[in-house]
Amino acid sequence: MAIRIPALAESQIGPRARLRLLTWTTLLIVLILSALVWPAEARRFPEGWNLGLRGPVDAFQNWTVANRASSPIFTLFFDPLRGGIDASLRLVENWLLGLSWLSVLAIIGLLGYLGTGIRLALLCVGGLLLAGLFGLWEPSMQTLALMSCAVSLSLLCGIPLGIAAGLSPPFESRLRPLLDAMQTMPAFVYLAPVLLFFGIARAPAVVATLIYALPPIIRLTSMGIRQADPSAVEAARAFGATPRQLLLRVQMPLALPEIMAGVNQTIMMSLSMVVIAAMIGAGGLGREVLVALQRLNVGQALEAGLVIVALAIILDRLSAALGRIDLAAPPETVRRDVLAGWPARAFATRQDNPARVQNLQRFARVINAVLLLAIIIAADAALFHLGSFPADWRISLRGPANAAVAWARDNLYQIGGLPIGTGPLSDTLTIYLLNPGRNLLLDWLPWPAVILAVAGAGYAAGKWGLAAICASGMLLIGLLGMWTPSMDTLSQVLIMVLISVAIAVPLGVLSSQSPATRAVLRPVLDFLQTVPAFVYLVPVIMLVNIGRVPGLIAAVLYAVPPGIKLTELGLSQVPAETVEAARSFGATRAQIMLRVQLPLALPAIMLAVNQMIMMVLAMVIIAGLVGGAGLGLEVVIGLGKNQTGRGIESGIAIVIIAIIFDRITQAWAAYRDG
Amino acid sequence: MTVVPTDQPTLICRDVWKIFGREPAHAYAALHAGTADAGRYADHMVAVRGVSFSVRRGETFVVMGLSGSGKSTLVRCLSRLTEPTHGEVQIDGRNILTMGDAELRELRRHTVSMVFQHFGLFPHRRVIDNVAYGLEVRGIGRRERQEQAERMIDLVGLTGWGNHLPRQLSGGMQQRVGLARALAVNPAILLFDEPFSALDPLIRREMQDELLRLQSSLRKTSIFITHDFAEALRLGDRIAIMRHGQLVQVGTPEELVLRPSSDYVRAFVKDAPRARVLTAGSIMIACPPSAVGTDGPRVALATKLEEALPIVAAHDGPVAVVDEALVTHGHLNRALVLHALCQA
Repeated sequence: MAIRIPALAESQIGPRARLRLLTWTTLLIVLILSALVWPAEARRFPEGWNLGLRGPVDAFQNWTVANRASSPIFTLFFDPLRGGIDASLRLVENWLLGLSWLSVLAIIGLLGYLGTGIRLALLCVGGLLLAGLFGLWEPSMQTLALMSCAVSLSLLCGIPLGIAAGLSPPFESRLRPLLDAMQTMPAFVYLAPVLLFFGIARAPAVVATLIYALPPIIRLTSMGIRQADPSAVEAARAFGATPRQLLLRVQMPLALPEIMAGVNQTIMMSLSMVVIAAMIGAGGLGREVLVALQRLNVGQALEAGLVIVALAIILDRLSAALGRIDLAAPPETVRRDVLAGWPARAFATRQDNPARVQNLQRFARVINAVLLLAIIIAADAALFHLGSFPADWRISLRGPANAAVAWARDNLYQIGGLPIGTGPLSDTLTIYLLNPGRNLLLDWLPWPAVILAVAGAGYAAGKWGLAAICASGMLLIGLLGMWTPSMDTLSQVLIMVLISVAIAVPLGVLSSQSPATRAVLRPVLDFLQTVPAFVYLVPVIMLVNIGRVPGLIAAVLYAVPPGIKLTELGLSQVPAETVEAARSFGATRAQIMLRVQLPLALPAIMLAVNQMIMMVLAMVIIAGLVGGAGLGLEVVIGLGKNQTGRGIESGIAIVIIAIIFDRITQAWAAYRDG
Repeated sequence: MTVVPTDQPTLICRDVWKIFGREPAHAYAALHAGTADAGRYADHMVAVRGVSFSVRRGETFVVMGLSGSGKSTLVRCLSRLTEPTHGEVQIDGRNILTMGDAELRELRRHTVSMVFQHFGLFPHRRVIDNVAYGLEVRGIGRRERQEQAERMIDLVGLTGWGNHLPRQLSGGMQQRVGLARALAVNPAILLFDEPFSALDPLIRREMQDELLRLQSSLRKTSIFITHDFAEALRLGDRIAIMRHGQLVQVGTPEELVLRPSSDYVRAFVKDAPRARVLTAGSIMIACPPSAVGTDGPRVALATKLEEALPIVAAHDGPVAVVDEALVTHGHLNRALVLHALCQA
């Protein structure tokens, strides 16, 4: 957590600066004194002070369980909704599995070809072939079906909501806190309520994915509408367009790039829910990963993980490319390719209505692609009967991967009886970093001192308003009865963030300076960003002891890639003229970096830190699954033992910590920027 | 100074105000009454302050002002793209400020159309669909509007570019599309909001010539906003100088050059090309018809000094200034012309 040091922010040491220095020194002394003199048994938040949120939530849960079959809320609303989702999901799934593997490949390949051409087509086909070759064809189709349902539902709800928000600022500002909550609330927290309303099966998995994937499409649609070229919108008004004409023919088409970016985001978000959705019965690739995690079968997890990565890449590139297809491009700019020619072109030449000829030519590629696809599907149905992916076409990574991890466990855990290796490393991290951190917040500092320190950080970043938010947030955590697990989590999160920053910022600086480093890092970072964290959790657990360390490593692996990318981006956006000016005065490369580039990129780097904190917080629950304790464990217990109240209390605590961290870092970055 | 129109005016603007802020109506009331609590509205921005003028049919009325003078806000008040805080805007005898939504839309679809500073083209539509836009919102069928749009594209010299997208055109060509789009609905009134200021000087000049060429045959009533005094002189039948939301002076180019009402206007006209603005009639020494011999050279009252100069230079004696009926109104000589040209 980087906090502006107030004594240094003042350029001159005047009386004001001296006063500030005095204030901060006093604060520090108060903290140390309180740690020394406060009675040892009263350092944790008093247990009697509790809001008692758990009671009503659990009572509601019991009521729901008792009335699920009879209450009209269920018989008239949730049950039909669930039935509808289930039916449409089954429809898509049966359709995907009913099509032969060749037809599915043809669809994806043609979409890729229409998108950007032969390279994307090959990438798409190759990715899906991988699923088949790993023997994961059926789970992949299940995952695709679940995702297409969740994504379609998200778009169906999200685009109209986004348009409404884009047209009406009051609606937008009322919607925003809800979207913020949907994005920061860990998915595990609302899994429990979703299960309550929809029962266990695939419908709740769709709903949970929908909740997670909805915000970006709403935000981006609204942004697209709001930012549609104001001069074009004004021109349309000046020519007497009705609000409806304005929306449908000007604002929506102009917002299309943002809407497509939202579709892309929504697809990626729903793909990242695959494993979590499998925890409540979604099946598909997520289930494969979970089963592998339970059996500690690295190879199986790796194969499923690779297929998820392949799907992510395919869907990302496809949705990005489909957004760029310019069907309205004038005929002469349409690329000449296989699909643009016969038979649509030939048909066009026989028409004599010029408008129809033009339309035929403009949409020739799409028409031809659809024709080709129809031929393939018809031929398959009538002649080949290919069906499911052939069972004897297999490649396997399981053997080698499992062997490699077994070798690593036997040889790297402790090297030759010396205190080196992953085992001793894990012990060192626990004894010298994690334990002291937890002790500091739980046993050394009394609870008012912790609140004071967080409020102080808030004050340093954003004056009294933020200090008040921080203090009341911390107090609320205590009143929820979550003080002890929260301090455990907070200490872990601080250490995870420190380690992530210590790795990401130097690597970001290095990669901004050296194209070679960038070239090496880029694929590694892309892989880490797309592979589900559960997949690399398996080898990590095998190499270090269960406890807080595997969670820490997973969180760092999860947070470092965006940190590196954003740091690099921030440095690359420092104006070239400024750097050139510094160089023209004879500054060395180190001087340019330290005196010009880093200070100018500081707000951007601060946003990178902000992102890393959010990523680390997203890993709190996964860390809890593998022995990280703290709030993550509370959420997992809440979900596993059906104690919804406990789960929600701990979920709120995570959200509060996230909001405090987010506000402090954002305020700090904004202060430096302005 | 207000010019009283001689022909029937087609657009009349009376005491139009536009105030931006939280409580514009209250701010207007306070400012108008000059009450003491006007200071309460110090955070309000008065963009247009009691502007009145009228424009005759077929006239090109230029509003010239520096940035922030309120000229763009003023032109938007004329078709209520910006809602005026107070005042009256009459178009063909109807007050547009009391019109309902539907009536206002009809006005925008048929009577008033606009050309924008940043073109305001629809980037997702081909040139021809951009030009046909006004007809499309009017509900005119595809074939008919495309034919009309095709004619407009030819008129502005973009023949053959109809199927291109705006981004494939240069800035000057894009503004030709903007012009064609405005002309396609055959409006009674054209509003120009700094249409050429985003173009580079050579193209700007070319577009001014294009507009003059079109206007010589179409004679549309036009309100033209610009910050370029030279452009105002070239295009305007009359020019209004705007400053701090008010009209400082309204007059023909010649009136402004000869009789600037304030130092502010004088600063603009200082560098005006006087030879191209001033006419023989305005600088001549008036005399009875018989005072100058009829055998010498003659110039018309409306002759610009630019053209009168070679005649005066070639002739030692006075040059007669005559009207259309060849009746002499006065005379010019070298000293008079040189004096008029170098007077600063």
